[in-house]
Amino acid sequence: MSEHRAVVVDGVSKVFNRGTPRQVEALVDIDLTVGGGEFVSLIGPSGCGKSTLLRLVANLIEPSTGEVLVAGKDAPRARLDQEYGMAFQQAGLFDWRSVARNVELPLELKGWDGSRRRRRALEMLQLVKLTDFADHKPWQLSGGMQQRVAIARALAAHPRLLLMDEPFGALDEMTREHMQAELLRICAETETSVVFVTHSIPEAVYLSDRVVVMSPRPGRITEIIDVDLGPSRTVETREDASYFKKITEVREALRAGEDDRETEAVVAEERSSR
Amino acid sequence: MTRRRLLTSLGPPIVFGLAFLGLWEAVVRGFDLKPYFLSAPSKIVEAIGDNVDNVWDATVVSGTNALVGLVIGTLLGVAVSFALMRFRVLDDLVTPLAVALNAIPIFVLVTVFNNMFAITSEVPRRLMVTIVVYFIVLVNVAKGLRQVQPTHLELLRSYAASPTAVLSKARIPNAVPYLFTALRIAAPAAVITAFVAEYFGGSQNGLGYGITSNSAGSKNAVAWAYVVGACTLGLVFFLIAVSLESYINTRRGLGPGGGTT
Repeated sequence: MSEHRAVVVDGVSKVFNRGTPRQVEALVDIDLTVGGGEFVSLIGPSGCGKSTLLRLVANLIEPSTGEVLVAGKDAPRARLDQEYGMAFQQAGLFDWRSVARNVELPLELKGWDGSRRRRRALEMLQLVKLTDFADHKPWQLSGGMQQRVAIARALAAHPRLLLMDEPFGALDEMTREHMQAELLRICAETETSVVFVTHSIPEAVYLSDRVVVMSPRPGRITEIIDVDLGPSRTVETREDASYFKKITEVREALRAGEDDRETEAVVAEERSSR
Repeated sequence: MTRRRLLTSLGPPIVFGLAFLGLWEAVVRGFDLKPYFLSAPSKIVEAIGDNVDNVWDATVVSGTNALVGLVIGTLLGVAVSFALMRFRVLDDLVTPLAVALNAIPIFVLVTVFNNMFAITSEVPRRLMVTIVVYFIVLVNVAKGLRQVQPTHLELLRSYAASPTAVLSKARIPNAVPYLFTALRIAAPAAVITAFVAEYFGGSQNGLGYGITSNSAGSKNAVAWAYVVGACTLGLVFFLIAVSLESYINTRRGLGPGGGTT
């Protein structure tokens, strides 16, 4: 792990619709640091605020309190400088652009000229092994291929950080495992740090250096689990005893979060009945 | 499409159409129907032959009215939908009104316009077509500009894209199929409005006038000749619009009927 820190989240809270009857405490007191080249997964049940946390890092929304630093800069500055690339559950490709022109989009917005863009796009497509499809339209590709284009696009401007919101959530199991292996290879080749939102325990364990377990109402981090499966993970890793041990550990941490919540619900009920 | 497939898809409707005309001819002759009641297809063909110059001139008049209204209405509709995109308040005011107006036959307003302009002017008809087309285009294009995939908007925000870039990279390309869907609806509506506008008076030169005046004069076969001209004009407008739409949608990987992926 290098010295520079890819992401620093310091004392961050997020309240939606503050002061209205629909007020929601989405995140409370979040502290999280992601090191250079590190792969960190955010896992938790729906409503635990993991996507909200990712969007705060991306500066798509602003925190209510606290501070977010990306690549050592304020989150808004980092966004303007395209310090990170982003991928979502939906590939979100533009139908009317060819595969290569989709990958070029972030570079277009940076004002790169055409031939330089094209060269970089082809480089990125080579990285995700889709060179032959450069001039296809997105709808001619399978779901897994579309998601690979989305990853190529996210990495086109060579950001040091990749933010991913359940990018493989809509893929079938076999494609999903293949994509996970590909993602690890790409990140190793490009030395990219990743913050990865998922609700699949095996996926989080297989991919991550650390798994951040979150629980809802209000969204908070309940535990951070180190996954020491070694730097290179293969098909065998998925059948290894230490892999299953980690899966159990994460599952138990998730369940503990659930129990906390039930206790809290009881406390809250007692408080309101008083 | 191969010649064989073209033949199998076009064959049945053509055979059906010819059979229908044959039956029509047989009924008129068999029951000896009077020409003022129903003209035989052979008489209509004859009437077209005798009046081909008149029908053609009338087609040009009505066709020009429809086309002028279609073009101006489309340009206006596109321009205003951009304005609505830019100013949300306008959107809240205008869109419900436009949707409501699309649901009622506003072309009856043409009588009012006829009183406003010189009786021999084509302006009231063209104005009527423009208004009908304008609302169809406005409602659809505004929808296309607005209904952009949320993922696309988040992505562009993550690239720190300016509002202009969001417009040119996402909103405008997204609205293109909506524009062509609007044209597919608006083109036949423009032609119909152009004819119907002629029923309400004004200058005596279009297809609609040809139909009403010849019917009134009991020249039924000639009226039918103008009807054939009207049908042909409507079909030409419709076919051009449908071909454009399906060309655009095929390029986008959408079905010929539209929709989004």
